[in-house]
Amino acid sequence: MDLNTLQNLLLTGILRGGLYALMAVGLALVFGVMNICHFAHGEYYVIGAYAAYFAHVTFGLNPIVAIVIAAILSFIAGAVTEKIFFFPLRRFNKGEWIMNAFLLTAGLSVALQNTFKLVWGVRYRGITQYWDATIEIFPGMAIAADRLVALGIAIAAILALWFFLQKTSTGRAIRAVSQDERGAMLVGIKLDRIYTLTFALGSMFAGLGGASLLSLTPAYPYAGVRPLISSWFVVTIVGLGSVSGAIVGGFLVGVFESLSYYFLGQGWQDVASLGMLIVLLLFKPSGLFGTKVKGVLEK
Amino acid sequence: MQTTLTPEATSKTRILTNLESIGLSLPVLGCIALLALAPLFIQDEYILRLLVVSLLFGALAIAFDFTGGFINAVNFGYAGFVGLGAYISTLLVTKTGFNPWMGLLAALLVTGLVGFFTGLLTLPLRGIYVSLMSWFVGLTLMALANAMVKLTNGARGLIVPPLYESVSITAHLYIMLAITVALYVIMRLIIRSRVGLAFRAIGQNFDAARASGVNPTRYKLMNFTLSCAVAGMLGAYYGHFVGIITPDLMDTGRTMEVMALAYIGGSGSLLGGVFAAFLFIPLFDSLKKLMEYRLIIYGLSLVAIMIFYPAGLAGLYQYVTEKYKTWKGRIPK
Amino acid sequence: MLDVTNLQAGYDCLQALWGVSLSVSQGEFVALIGSNGAGKTTTLRAISGLIKPLAGQVTFMGRQIAGISADQIHRLGMSFITEDLNLFEGMTIRDNLLLGAYSQKDKKKIKASLDYVFDLFPLFETRQKQLAGTLSGGERRMLALGRGLMSEPHLLMVDEPSLGLAPQTVKDVFDALQALHRKGITILLVEQNVNTTLHISSKAYVMEKGEIVLQGASAELLENAYLKETYLGAR
Repeated sequence: MDLNTLQNLLLTGILRGGLYALMAVGLALVFGVMNICHFAHGEYYVIGAYAAYFAHVTFGLNPIVAIVIAAILSFIAGAVTEKIFFFPLRRFNKGEWIMNAFLLTAGLSVALQNTFKLVWGVRYRGITQYWDATIEIFPGMAIAADRLVALGIAIAAILALWFFLQKTSTGRAIRAVSQDERGAMLVGIKLDRIYTLTFALGSMFAGLGGASLLSLTPAYPYAGVRPLISSWFVVTIVGLGSVSGAIVGGFLVGVFESLSYYFLGQGWQDVASLGMLIVLLLFKPSGLFGTKVKGVLEK
Repeated sequence: MQTTLTPEATSKTRILTNLESIGLSLPVLGCIALLALAPLFIQDEYILRLLVVSLLFGALAIAFDFTGGFINAVNFGYAGFVGLGAYISTLLVTKTGFNPWMGLLAALLVTGLVGFFTGLLTLPLRGIYVSLMSWFVGLTLMALANAMVKLTNGARGLIVPPLYESVSITAHLYIMLAITVALYVIMRLIIRSRVGLAFRAIGQNFDAARASGVNPTRYKLMNFTLSCAVAGMLGAYYGHFVGIITPDLMDTGRTMEVMALAYIGGSGSLLGGVFAAFLFIPLFDSLKKLMEYRLIIYGLSLVAIMIFYPAGLAGLYQYVTEKYKTWKGRIPK
Repeated sequence: MLDVTNLQAGYDCLQALWGVSLSVSQGEFVALIGSNGAGKTTTLRAISGLIKPLAGQVTFMGRQIAGISADQIHRLGMSFITEDLNLFEGMTIRDNLLLGAYSQKDKKKIKASLDYVFDLFPLFETRQKQLAGTLSGGERRMLALGRGLMSEPHLLMVDEPSLGLAPQTVKDVFDALQALHRKGITILLVEQNVNTTLHISSKAYVMEKGEIVLQGASAELLENAYLKETYLGAR
């Protein structure tokens, strides 16, 4: 394999990885703070995609504006979801929270997918590209502007999140809630607000993914399935709840998939990825970046 | 309530009591009888097919609940195992000319084996990891079915030979009924046995069970393997019943359908899912318009049950019968 | 400042408090003592809002607070230092302290509180970036105290700070509490260590099996025959 091809593959991998990192961070955040294994994450990707499509195509808005609108709408969608479904679950729930919340998101996922189908039909809502341009990274290697911008958005969003969590009061509060809920209450943090915010942020990240990659994956009811699988794949590999791990893992998985696609082709690429996951979990069940989750191993 | 009974009556009550002890209480027997007699009154093949499908899904729900409701392991890749069974049986029968019944057996064994290894890998871990890993296994199986096109014909579908020469729906109904009843009775017996006690202890409190000398992983493994094996066999049956199978069969959405039925029926009730199946499947079919909303309703029902009434239909049934019994004065308030 | 009347509370099926009444006035150092399982922690939990009382009244700063959420009660000016401390183990000392002032919006006041805590516990100033989970037992108690002080509370409730600590560290902790009291902070202290507690507090309540069995000025209680026999091992 020549250097050119390798460069190409790595680049594709990184571009993919950006999206995976973005989605995985959303998942990790929601799990780390709320202990929810979010199975409807893909549906917020779809909301973002639809929102961007309608904003850009139907209303003719500038791509960046469309993406921002999509982000805002998925944020709101997440907040609304949290208030309608998880707030009552917290109040009424008696059994094992993790399982019940997980099953709830599974049901939600099915309901949402088919609601999209009902409202917008199965038609693909896609665009060929946002910007008619390519950018030359290395001599002889041009990437579509869309993909580069998508990567840029992913990186910018992740950096913004890092800044938010580390330097702001609310971000600190979110971290506090993920560490010790009672302690958080005792310093005056309103848990419900933090939960809604966290879930909204996670959904916004998914929505950003869907919106920025509209030229690659059109908006349609089941568009969220692949991103869901990929982001869960990443999160399982790095270990549930590790946000920083999710970022690294996202890029790693992106590159791995890019390489295995080249060597094995579409069909077997999936098998390879999943096979690798199984092997990995055999040796380190809590994921690459270890146990941020207490009691992962039931001895 | 003490009255003297005639000898015939005594043996009758004894039979009834024995039947009840294996799970075939009077209401259940009534339902079985109803289904068994249905072909006498219903000639419409379409409706009979519906009954078979409902039974099939009910049986799938029973096997699903066997793990989900007792050892706290939600097999999120369930559809993958179902599909695996279907493909194994079909390929075996078409390639080697074996009897389809042998195909069912093969499906049972192979899927059980895959289930065993999946369980071996994941059951020592926390519940959510079991779900995740079995999900990935299911996805892998689906990916394999799609990838090995030469073998499986991929998305175009694989034609499946019928179970036996004369394709009579009534026969299918009886076979499926027998399978479902047998499955329920057997699984219920296991649950109530010492083995089942271990299951439930593990499901409740893993560490405490361990401390009491129960080897949790061994029991979980038994349970999980059996559940997967049955799923495979039912998948094989489905193939021979429907006549064609595609990798779509193993899609996560199919798992969710069975899961929704199992949970709406009541996690841990085994039989609840069957009633849920008979409630939803004919309902969705008869009200054609509702088909569009079918999955939305499944999804939202699951959500609602999770939040408000985790006991499901079974819980409701128990509540109603208890209220009835107190009203009748049979048990004190 | 704090008035508890006939408080009843418990956990799930188990009632632990059977009508507890106590009061804490501004500037007082009140102790709630008793042996294990007497219900002292439950009392604090019910007052602070961590558990909802079954019956009874709790008035704090003139407001009825029985049944309202813990975070709301904290914002009214009550800081509860739990037995488990509930520190944010994966976060730095500095972040823990800053979180203590979460409800404070004024940056200057936060800085002032931070300086105040650093003044009290100089070791934190130098090791601000250290993770809370890596501190020793005594240091963690101090951090929890510091965090509780960041919000400039009217009332500081502390649950068994001496538990599991070496004697010298215990002394440090009690010294710190005394110092805080001298600076004018109102304290409600729960302890099993009866002797020292009675020496540093002004008023005390003795609890047994979910009820107050004895109360009064700490100095007098030290001379109380029943107390001496049951808790101080006198004959």
